[in-house]
Amino acid sequence: MRQRSLIAITAALAAGALTLTACGSRDDDGGGSSDSGNGGTTVVIGVDAPMTGDLSALGLGIKNSVDLAAKTANKDKYVEGVTFKIEALDDQGQASVGQQNATKLVANDDVLGVVGPLNSSVGEAMQKVFDTAKLVEVSPANTNPALTQGVKWQTEKVRPYKSYFRTATTDAIQGPFAAQYVFNEAKKKKVFVIDDKKTYGAGLAATFTEEFKKLGGEVVGTEHINPDSKDFNAVATKVKNSGADVVYYGGEYPQAGPLSKQIKEAGAKIPLVGGDGIYSADFIKLSGAAGTGDLATSVGAPVEELPSAKEFVANYKAAGYKEAFEAYGGYSYDSAWAIIEAVKKVVEDNDGKLPDDARAKVVDAMQNVSFDGVTGKVSFDEFGDATNKQLTVYSVKDGNWATVKSGTFTG
Amino acid sequence: MSGVGPVEPGEGTHVQDVPPAPRLRRGAAARYAEEHRRAVAGAFLVVAVLAGGGSLYVTRPRSEPPPVPPYPNQVTAVEYLYPQVTDAESTPRSFTFAVEVTTESGPPVTVVRISQPYAGLSVTSSPRTPFRTKSGSPRKITLTMRVTECGKVPRNAGLPFLDVTLRNTRAMQAHSFILGPQYAQDLSRALQVACSNDSR
Repeated sequence: MRQRSLIAITAALAAGALTLTACGSRDDDGGGSSDSGNGGTTVVIGVDAPMTGDLSALGLGIKNSVDLAAKTANKDKYVEGVTFKIEALDDQGQASVGQQNATKLVANDDVLGVVGPLNSSVGEAMQKVFDTAKLVEVSPANTNPALTQGVKWQTEKVRPYKSYFRTATTDAIQGPFAAQYVFNEAKKKKVFVIDDKKTYGAGLAATFTEEFKKLGGEVVGTEHINPDSKDFNAVATKVKNSGADVVYYGGEYPQAGPLSKQIKEAGAKIPLVGGDGIYSADFIKLSGAAGTGDLATSVGAPVEELPSAKEFVANYKAAGYKEAFEAYGGYSYDSAWAIIEAVKKVVEDNDGKLPDDARAKVVDAMQNVSFDGVTGKVSFDEFGDATNKQLTVYSVKDGNWATVKSGTFTG
Repeated sequence: MSGVGPVEPGEGTHVQDVPPAPRLRRGAAARYAEEHRRAVAGAFLVVAVLAGGGSLYVTRPRSEPPPVPPYPNQVTAVEYLYPQVTDAESTPRSFTFAVEVTTESGPPVTVVRISQPYAGLSVTSSPRTPFRTKSGSPRKITLTMRVTECGKVPRNAGLPFLDVTLRNTRAMQAHSFILGPQYAQDLSRALQVACSNDSR
């Protein structure tokens, strides 16, 4: 009898415990499926980036990361009554195409913010279109200082467009940071400077050169390349004959990779240094084994140092995107999330509904956005620049980009 | 059913459709049956206890593992404050700046080393390294720089920085703090004064 009672009690306990376990499992799963929709209003976040052509690796990483932000907001019902969707347009890295895309996005009344573009030259062409329509634009990758601080940024900073923001650090910091590293720590004193004549490349090369000279370095040669070409043998020979102990390249990886390879093949066994535009796995593929020791600065801290970035990396992987998030994934997610935060503020301030002048209100709200993002604290200064200004030097080692050193601008 | 019979009926309940078993059976067969029943019941007890215990173990309230501390360079800020007046006679070619070191969150951070990258310039701090900074308690640090060789210091660099080695329970890291245009201007001015005195 006692034995049987014990069996009964144990069985009851076991059944109860199993029931509790099952309940716990259901709770852990959480509610809602991805992009289930909140019903109500649809808000479109536009995306503009190169999704075909040489720079598509970076562009598709931008698009996917914005998509992930929209899906996350929908899943979490982050803005009550609002479902986010994205409309992604391919600018092919061309300023004229970007401008046409800007016009298309402005024409869609559901678009309340745009993430992009990648290239500073494209950004330059889009700014006015968006500003006229009071449509907020947040670039995860434009680094040319003039976009936020005006063309005379070195002497007189004037914000040209109220609707333009960016999460990336500018070349006003990136170029000098690279120069300081190359001169003081890599101990290189003679540089050959090459750029692709584009807004980003020429601008970055200029800020690098200015600081390198101030530090006491010597510029032993300068050249411009045609970004449509992949044959740089003539430039490589000039580099070899110049006696340079380092090459600085202002431009992007589709040209930087072959350029690095051809410089080494010409007999100049010296590192090529570039900015965030060459910080891509594709640079390593294109430069080959000779690219070992080449350097890149990139905006932001290394992903592995940021707990918030780790979550982004895991979610990106779980979402199953075919392409890597690349150099600007975290910045793109944060750019999209800044728009989501601004929309949330506007909706909450208007009794849970979008006001008629939602675009203008979103521009105003963006100025005061502040949240802990993938790349750290996200907020904007009076020019629309990111207040979080981190940079990292990477070196090609064993076929990968390895972190060398990070820096933070606190001025 | 399970082969071990129904769970013991409670008081006043009966299994109606089964004739009551003889209260006592004697003989080898009866003993075997009784032993078999006890063995099976014992096995059930063990399984049930294990299942119950396992379930309780799995569903026990667990305290969350402590969060991994952040990397020290992600929670430490170094900001330039202002130049400080020094006695130029007693400390020629030296000048002093004040900076503020702040740990924004997480465990305390130890500043292991402060240096700057120019070959012709040395730096010491007060308090001397290593020193600790706690979250929420910014520390004012005085940096005294001494020009050792005027030919090896740039006079007008745009974005000079301090190299600071930081350590907390997570990691030790070297990090550059770019202190901004005001620091650049004040450093350039101090270097020009220090090295113009030298040439007199």
